[in-house]
Amino acid sequence: MDDKDNIALSVRDLKTFFYTNNRCNKAVNGVSFDVEKGKTLCIVGESGCGKSVTAATIMQLLPTLSRIEEGEIKFRKDNKIINIEKLEKNGKEMREIRGSDIAMIFQDPMTALNPVYTVGFQISENLKYHTNLNKKQIREKCISLLSDMGIPLPEKRVDEYPHSYSGGMRQRAMIAMAMACNPKILIADEPTTALDVTIQAQIFELMEKLKKENDTAIILITHDMGVVAELADNVAVMYMGNIVEAGTADDVLRRPTHPYTKALLESVPVLGRGKNQDINPIKGSTPDPYNRPVGCQFAPRCNWQTESCDIMPEITQINDTHQIRCHKYEQFFEKYNEKRNS
Amino acid sequence: MTTYIIQRLFIFFPMLLAISFLVYGGLELSPGDAVSHMISPELALSITAEQLEAMREAYGLNKSFLTRYWIWLTSMVQGDMGYSMAGGVAISEIMAKTVPATLELSLVALFFSTIIGCSLGVLSALKRGSATDNSLTVAGMAGVSIPEFFFGLVAILLFAIELQWLPVGGRLLPSYETVWDRIPNIVLPSLVLALMMTAGAMRYARSSMLDVLAREFITTARSKGMPEWRVNLLHGFRVALTPVVVLIGFRLPLLIGGSTIIEQVYQWPGIGNMFIRSVRGSDYPLVMTISLMYVFVVLTASLIIDVLTALIDPRVRLGKE
Repeated sequence: MDDKDNIALSVRDLKTFFYTNNRCNKAVNGVSFDVEKGKTLCIVGESGCGKSVTAATIMQLLPTLSRIEEGEIKFRKDNKIINIEKLEKNGKEMREIRGSDIAMIFQDPMTALNPVYTVGFQISENLKYHTNLNKKQIREKCISLLSDMGIPLPEKRVDEYPHSYSGGMRQRAMIAMAMACNPKILIADEPTTALDVTIQAQIFELMEKLKKENDTAIILITHDMGVVAELADNVAVMYMGNIVEAGTADDVLRRPTHPYTKALLESVPVLGRGKNQDINPIKGSTPDPYNRPVGCQFAPRCNWQTESCDIMPEITQINDTHQIRCHKYEQFFEKYNEKRNS
Repeated sequence: MTTYIIQRLFIFFPMLLAISFLVYGGLELSPGDAVSHMISPELALSITAEQLEAMREAYGLNKSFLTRYWIWLTSMVQGDMGYSMAGGVAISEIMAKTVPATLELSLVALFFSTIIGCSLGVLSALKRGSATDNSLTVAGMAGVSIPEFFFGLVAILLFAIELQWLPVGGRLLPSYETVWDRIPNIVLPSLVLALMMTAGAMRYARSSMLDVLAREFITTARSKGMPEWRVNLLHGFRVALTPVVVLIGFRLPLLIGGSTIIEQVYQWPGIGNMFIRSVRGSDYPLVMTISLMYVFVVLTASLIIDVLTALIDPRVRLGKE
């Protein structure tokens, strides 16, 4: 990463484990990816595959019973490389990065805002800790942020409490909060799961706009393949704490090579194909994280399972951008090439 | 906010009226009337039915229930509390003596127990699972479950009788001149009272704080890069405060009503003590006055709680607008 200026965050072989009742849940088990400036990286996967933990790890917002075991999180700040995993959890340096360089939007805007403080106050906290603005300037900035987010009557709304905001407006207020200090990286952890579809579109439009205007890198965590197709520049598919396939949106969505990615895409109904379309849900369910399969984690649910799957496949680079963790990728990948040639 | 307070007041007065009726009616139902308590057993043997009737007539006890209630209510509102049947002292005079004694004791206890209880509760929640938390939890459980008279007696045995550091009980002695002379007397009762209340406040503050610390907005606050004290106190404790305020609010009646048990144990000349004496002596006017006053204070306390919770949590005050 040291020689590439366009990369804002680089994660290498990250492992985050949870310890409960003397058992260890390897929630994130060796994940590597890069986030480019002004690009959106979508992390996709089923519930419990480690998407949110990855995000929390980058912010060091992990619960007390978990810790970063191994790996590196390198963040470029003013041409200096900071190893986030080495910073103290709630120490001064980590706090300086949080909210100002890396900001986060949470899943449920209903619970992510503090009910007893005005929205303006909650946005201003960010500015108070990371800028030198005075009180009056902070207030003006809060109002302009809210108006940027398309909230009507921002001068009035700034003094209102979250409970008088609608769900969509709360999420806008959350984004305003996250964007207050022009972060280099925005982590959005399923930002629209709790909102209805029309609001969802507006929120994504807003994020797109911010990305273009501020050159912010976005890590978007989602399980909605439609959203991925719409927004992603790069995609990483996670399963049981590993990235099984990664690449540009084109690579992953048009030429899905890992059986899991293919299965994920096939299990999504497509609008316009009518009631009787074939949806192929993935058979079985995600294994118990305390009782994992040996080798490839997806093997027990995979239609192409062979003996070689008892050994965890290594990451293979198919081309410059596309990488995969599967023993039999060549077979699948060839099919695309055949199709393309014919 | 003003509308909210007015709404509360609209509930306050009808409630007070209804309860005063219940208090009066309840005493009406108790066996025997006032006259039967006024005559001594020797007199009861020789007294004639006419004489009894005349006495009832003289005290107005022959009037209908509602008329008597009305007379009592109107004079009560005018501040005329009547006379105690034991000794014929004006009730207002008794109140003037006992209320300050109770206030003194309860204010000290309430003040310290609230501050210490909340701080320890928050500390316990923040250090969840640590040795500090565990020992505070055990101490809190003991404090909540062991009855206060037991603590009171143990404290007397230890500090007053064995060590002889502090007086056994009472409030004022003729030799006392300055406020400082009186302080040793208040230490034990207020300490024992505060101990119980601290334990309760601590348990409440701890569980409420733990509940809030697990909420998502705490993560949001942390994700803004704010220091831990601000996350825990400004975002955590402020929200956790509501149930604690309710608990403390319900203790406000203690300020006037006094803790009957502690006042008994330490022979503290407060209202609690007086209440027990008046019930034992079937001193109806005094019982009624103290009960009504108690009702008034409880209702006022819940009014204060309502206003305070509305101040802390904006969602409450906008509930019905």
